[in-house]
Amino acid sequence: MMTRMLSNRMNILYLLVAGFLALLPFVYDSRSLLILLSQVFIFAVLAMSYDILLGYTGIVSFGHAMFFGIGAYTVGVFMKRFEPETSYFLLAVLVTILLTAVVSYFVGLLTLRLKSHFYAMLTMAFAGLFLVLAEKWRTVTYGNDGFTFRVPDFLKDRTDFYLICLGSMVIVFILLRRFTNSPLGRVLQAIRENEQRTESLGYSVLQYKIIASVVSGVIAGIAGILYSVSLRFVNTSVFTMDITLDALLMTIIGGVGTLVGAIIGAGIIEFSHHWLTELAKVHWIFERWIIFFGIIYILAVMFFPMGIVGSLQKLKFRKKKKLEVSVESEAVSQGDS
Amino acid sequence: MDVLINLSLNGLATGMLIFLLAAGLTLIFGLMDVLNFAHGGLFAWGAYSGIWIYSSTGSFFIGIIGAILTGMILGIVTERWIIKPVYGNHVQQILITLGLMLVLSEMLKVVWGPNQISAVTPDYLSGSWEFGGIIIIKYRVFIIAVGLAVFLAVQYLLKKTKIGLVVRAGVMNKEMVQSLGVNIQRVFMFVFMIGAGMAALGGMLLGPYSGVIYADMGMEFAILAFIVVVIGGMGSFTGSVMAAILVGLSGSFMAYYVPDLALAANMLLMAVVLIFRPQGLFGAKG
Repeated sequence: MMTRMLSNRMNILYLLVAGFLALLPFVYDSRSLLILLSQVFIFAVLAMSYDILLGYTGIVSFGHAMFFGIGAYTVGVFMKRFEPETSYFLLAVLVTILLTAVVSYFVGLLTLRLKSHFYAMLTMAFAGLFLVLAEKWRTVTYGNDGFTFRVPDFLKDRTDFYLICLGSMVIVFILLRRFTNSPLGRVLQAIRENEQRTESLGYSVLQYKIIASVVSGVIAGIAGILYSVSLRFVNTSVFTMDITLDALLMTIIGGVGTLVGAIIGAGIIEFSHHWLTELAKVHWIFERWIIFFGIIYILAVMFFPMGIVGSLQKLKFRKKKKLEVSVESEAVSQGDS
Repeated sequence: MDVLINLSLNGLATGMLIFLLAAGLTLIFGLMDVLNFAHGGLFAWGAYSGIWIYSSTGSFFIGIIGAILTGMILGIVTERWIIKPVYGNHVQQILITLGLMLVLSEMLKVVWGPNQISAVTPDYLSGSWEFGGIIIIKYRVFIIAVGLAVFLAVQYLLKKTKIGLVVRAGVMNKEMVQSLGVNIQRVFMFVFMIGAGMAALGGMLLGPYSGVIYADMGMEFAILAFIVVVIGGMGSFTGSVMAAILVGLSGSFMAYYVPDLALAANMLLMAVVLIFRPQGLFGAKG
């Protein structure tokens, strides 16, 4: 009862925040803030998809950039080769979903039976193969330099695009929350907690892991689409390890296994990225802002090992427990008297 | 024929450099169950400090000693301050050592500037020998010799000395060793120091081999080293040397015969090995 009320209250909070963000461009007109926030939403989608693997199934993947890159390149190639029209854009989205689903299915089939570290390294290898493919298949990808492309009219306006990114994030959040709370999602969490036990209960662990990796892959592909549309440019950097690491760090800093955490993590990383670069004008040391980034990671692990949302939840849990204990002891003392 | 010999020597030299990096990685993983992503950072610090000492003192030998010492000191600091708090949690280890990796490679740019630094071969190691049309570059032979010497030394340490016995037993069963009254913390630190020193030596030797050193070389070689560790089997010292040579040779031959695939050579090699032998070439089963 208590938890349901609490979650209702959280839902109202989410609604308020989403509503505020949706109205923001109409009250506060700052181009750079809009672009930055769009970027946050895009990476939040990526981080949430990563959280399905890391947080809900307990799989550490180093190849997540693979799906992000497939989405980015698919939409780029479609817009460059064909006309930048809505119909072709929708076709590109469909192709992305299909491609990422097929690729994540087969990569999952090949790799998911390996133990954690081997899995991580093998996914990195597969992502590396895609990076090489993007560099070498010049007739389609224009190699390392990448290419610019035009986008359909409805994506041109910054405010509209901002709203589309926000909408995508909200929809993905709702869908994934539904997914993780479904019986299937529960099995995934059981796998995270104890793989052997889940297997001995009769669940085919491999199948469930593949399902998680397909869901996660498809959503990462969608994030890739949004990313390359926001830049109207795509190059091989979308396949690099940096993208995977960003997703990993966002998920962990926000709190593993909480979708909201992934969103908050994306916000923190993107904003601190932005601010630390800005600070370069103040002092030369901030040109090397990655140092501070590294220190933040180290401190985050040392002092917030469960991430921001995870730590908050633990705090709340403790408080609740204390409350219950005090109520109980009161009851006991009343019974005595 | 001469092409074959050249390619082999080249591959062996690269393989030895990767071995110096991968050996420490695999020992640390095998013993401490720690995935150290900052290992490449120690490699790069070894290269920068070693080349710096070499160019300011003029002695290559002192440069090598300086590189190893730098690596060892950084290794101890890493073990004490960064890794100790996160024993037993892989995700946290990955994050914290990646953070350290970022700090280490950016600090290089703060200390020595963002541009790449050129490194020259000392006079007595530059040049080449010629045997009936086959040209053998001296420095490559030197790297192979140093790599072999380090391999044999560590092998001796592991197989014939008491500390090696403790380390090998620790790789098998950490709790057992601890319950027998061995201070496993001190063994950890020792292994970490050795591993870091080897990585730094590898970085230093790479300088004159490739001609330049740059701050991002740590990450680049760390990925190669991880591939080697995975191919060889995690925690297997013999596996890591075999796999390093395999990766070095396949890299140099692919670069010559199928340059288009060279970039993917290591990845393909790893994928093939893992699909058929999920535990790596020399890894224990299960």
